[in-house]
Amino acid sequence: MTKTIIELKKADLTLGRDAASVHVLKSMDLSIDEGEAVGIVGPSGSGKSTLLMVLAGLERLDRGEIHIRNTPLHRLGEDALADFRGRNIGIVFQSFHLIANMTALENVAVPLELANVRNPFDIARRELQSVGLGERLSHYPGQLSGGEQQRVAIARALAPSPAVLIADEPTGNLDTETGRQIADLLFSKQQERGMTLVLVTHDISLAARCSRQIRVRSGEIAGDSRNQPAEQAAFA
Amino acid sequence: MTSLRSRLCLAFRLALRELRGGLSGFYIFLACIALGTAAIAAVNSVSRSITDSIASEGRTLLAADVRFELNNREATPQELAYVQSLGDVAISTGLRSMARLPGGADQGLVEVKAVDDIYPLYGTFETNEGGALWPLLARHEDGRYGAVAAPLLLDRLGLKVGDEVLLGNARLAIAATVKSEPDAISEGFGFAPRLIVSREALTASGLMQTGSLVEHVYKVRLKAGSPPAAGIQQDAAQKFPDAGWSIRASDRAAPALSDNVTRFSQFLTLVGLTALIVGGVGVANAVRAFLDSKRTTIATFKCLGAPAFVVVAIYLFQILLIALAGIGIGLVVGALAPMAVAPFLAGFLPISAAPAIYPGPLALAALFGLLTTLAFAILPLGHAREVPATALFREQGFEPTRLPSWPYLLATGIILAALAALVILTAFDRFVAAVFLAAVAFGFVLLRLVAVLVAAIARRSPRVNSPALRLAIGNIHRPGALTSSVVLSLGLGLALLVTLTLIDGNLRRELTGNLPERAPNFFFVDIQGSEVEGFRRIVSQQAPEGKITEVPMLRGRILAFNGQDVTKMDVPPNGRWVLRGDRGITYSEALPENAKLTAGEWWAPDYDGEPLVSFSAEEAGELGLKIGDTVTVNVLGRSLTARIANLRQVEWESLSINFVMVFSPNTFKGAPHAWLATLTDATATPAQEAAILKAVTNAYPTITSVRVKDALEIVDKLVGQLATAIRAAAAVALVASVLVLAGALAAGNRARTHDAVILKTLGATRAMLIRAFSYEYMILGLATAVFALFAGGVSAWYVVSRIMKLPSVFLADVAVTTLVIALVMTVGIGLAGTWRVLGQKAAPVLREL
Repeated sequence: MTKTIIELKKADLTLGRDAASVHVLKSMDLSIDEGEAVGIVGPSGSGKSTLLMVLAGLERLDRGEIHIRNTPLHRLGEDALADFRGRNIGIVFQSFHLIANMTALENVAVPLELANVRNPFDIARRELQSVGLGERLSHYPGQLSGGEQQRVAIARALAPSPAVLIADEPTGNLDTETGRQIADLLFSKQQERGMTLVLVTHDISLAARCSRQIRVRSGEIAGDSRNQPAEQAAFA
Repeated sequence: MTSLRSRLCLAFRLALRELRGGLSGFYIFLACIALGTAAIAAVNSVSRSITDSIASEGRTLLAADVRFELNNREATPQELAYVQSLGDVAISTGLRSMARLPGGADQGLVEVKAVDDIYPLYGTFETNEGGALWPLLARHEDGRYGAVAAPLLLDRLGLKVGDEVLLGNARLAIAATVKSEPDAISEGFGFAPRLIVSREALTASGLMQTGSLVEHVYKVRLKAGSPPAAGIQQDAAQKFPDAGWSIRASDRAAPALSDNVTRFSQFLTLVGLTALIVGGVGVANAVRAFLDSKRTTIATFKCLGAPAFVVVAIYLFQILLIALAGIGIGLVVGALAPMAVAPFLAGFLPISAAPAIYPGPLALAALFGLLTTLAFAILPLGHAREVPATALFREQGFEPTRLPSWPYLLATGIILAALAALVILTAFDRFVAAVFLAAVAFGFVLLRLVAVLVAAIARRSPRVNSPALRLAIGNIHRPGALTSSVVLSLGLGLALLVTLTLIDGNLRRELTGNLPERAPNFFFVDIQGSEVEGFRRIVSQQAPEGKITEVPMLRGRILAFNGQDVTKMDVPPNGRWVLRGDRGITYSEALPENAKLTAGEWWAPDYDGEPLVSFSAEEAGELGLKIGDTVTVNVLGRSLTARIANLRQVEWESLSINFVMVFSPNTFKGAPHAWLATLTDATATPAQEAAILKAVTNAYPTITSVRVKDALEIVDKLVGQLATAIRAAAAVALVASVLVLAGALAAGNRARTHDAVILKTLGATRAMLIRAFSYEYMILGLATAVFALFAGGVSAWYVVSRIMKLPSVFLADVAVTTLVIALVMTVGIGLAGTWRVLGQKAAPVLREL
């Protein structure tokens, strides 16, 4: 029996003002189940990144509702949202966004420290070891390769054991081989921990590795399909 | 629930980690805070070292435990017996007179001090030739008395040790020259060189006559077990209520000097504070640029679950840590300042040479530094708080034109109020401090308006043919233009410099030009009644065109207003001088020539009723006096009360004979007194003046002649020395301005690199770009200079004409200098940075676009 973890109801959002305003999300309905891996695809300006930000609790809706783990995010204040995000949502960015003056270990420990978790550095060390960077704990981002930086970013996203992992073009800044390795890491972690993965990408092959693909066009869901278990296995 | 404390601890830890990136971009911030804090710490530490020295070496500076001073009369036998009952008493007498060469070839004004054999009770009187003082003053067999003179007197009269000089009717032999006089500072500011003689020699000189301006001083070394000085003051006042003596204890050896040092240091503190506030603009610029560069990190923190409060705390801690480093540097400089300036001040001020740190002034400077940092950093932090987490996904503007949320505005308001309160509460003259704050606030608003106006004019200016000028004009009004930061950073410092230079220039112009032309040529003091006729005849012969004015002259101390003891009254600073010590007073049948009645009526020539007094209107206002109030004065040991009949407007700056109080003639009927006279002769040459001086001094050796030009030269020299200190402080403000300007231009150059590369790829030559940038900097420099001249001109006019009551003119050389400074600063610093921009290779920049 699957359980809905993310639910969007009549989500509506306009960005910009006056003549420059764009209706980005148009009364969108969407629900994502626990443990699903969802790939969101669509052309530039379709609203997929905005949808991701709404799902991460980073962008407020003008109208409509968003619930994650039965928490109405649209009703939370800024700090409560930050707290909720810190405990429930991990985010992986295309440009990694590691903090330049902190070591890999410190970068991974930051969300744990913010959530006031005990022994944040022990957990961070384990997470880095689990993504294959046990030897790189004291390295600063500038001393790591792009793939290694993205691994640190994944470890940082996973460290608080979030129920939802959101990734924005996680392989977009990497070469094909490194991108494949990062994708493998993401999917293996998702399956290992039973997390829900929401992934925005231009890469159709990456989206195809997800159990479900949502196509967004002009702020609306233009298609929603699920892979057959055999297809999934073939991509894995 | 995460406690506030643990969140703050976390923010502090994260701040420390972030600071590993180094201080790049913060050097201007550091320098601004260090400079302003150092200026304030140094000025106040030096001031404290002087006032502390005065307090700690009070006995030596006073050469006594307690000092009793009587004017124009000696102590009565009862008073003397009382003073002698307290301990050992050294008696000295001070007056101003003329020292003449035998034969009358030359003469000079001297400050005579006649001492007895036990002077000084504390400290040591040193001569350059060595030996104890008293034997040097002994009477020689040929009837001459020994004297010790300041080296300056010997220089002026061409004398050497062993030569003879005349003082009144006494012949003196210069036995030695003064090296150090322990109690010189407590005796007040001397206009003329010192001449030390024995009391016997002074008696022989015949200078102590009825009505002579003489100070009789009784210095006491208290017996063991004596009551404290405050108790003695009270006891003496009770036992001799009409004595009219001024009693000073060693804990306040030189109150006037202490007050003046404090007053001057607080003025310099305001100038130093301007440097700090100008530096605050640099702080704001640096913080804004720093936070702008941290947008992605801030957004990342937010994405990782950091509440806005924690994000703000992370950056607030970083800013405070850097500010503390700057403050620390400033405090070190400030702490070392007293030791550094001691050798320069040691000659004329008591300054402790022993290394000492003054925590009070340093704490005050640190507080100023901290509050200024916060006042200028909170608003940029408020903007940083608004950085959305979505900035990581989408490029969006910082929208700095929008005000931050209300808690940040409120916090800034509270910090500014605390800064203002600190300035006012620690000021010697709170009114001046309040005016200073209002002027700075108004200056900021005005500078902002100037920047807006310049941008608006640039926006609306017609299209010009020169592409370089078109580019320059475009740069002035485009979003992110340097206009506001350049005008703001240079404007305040430059305006302060213009203000101080104009005040100094006007003051010097008056002292060396206008005043000597308007003022009398001579003041003649201590003219006895029997000498008036002869004196007038001699002066008329020497200066037939000259105008002689004579008035009766007495000395009196104000004891009470409306029966209330003035020592127990809270008197505003501007009115205190009237109550300090003895004042010259006179009586007159008619309204003095150079005065104008502003209230009440003058008494009839034959008035013979209740004693009346005419009070100077301005001083009456300061002291809260009105017509009908009574004034009690002590004259020659007698207290008398007169009722204020009228108020007079007195032009002090005319340097004519002016008195705060003019009494009705019947008040002093029969009282012995001397006369004061002036000679005004606009046509007199220096040679004629010398002849007048010689004639008067030779005929009447006991009349003291003061040449006004000599006195003004001394004042001019003093103003010059003060102006050097003021200019040094103003230079600190200007250096802060330059630092801030350099920072603002450097920040602008980052954006400029991009523009320059694009323009170069589109065909712009280096020469064209240099022209464009030069035009832009020139326009900004010119606008700032115009503001500085306007704001500085208005401020200087207010100080000169309203506070100093002197005619104020705008000095053209100041305008030219200001323009040159502004243009050199903006164009020079601007192009220095731009040169690097022009040398930038296009490819690396284009790859980043």
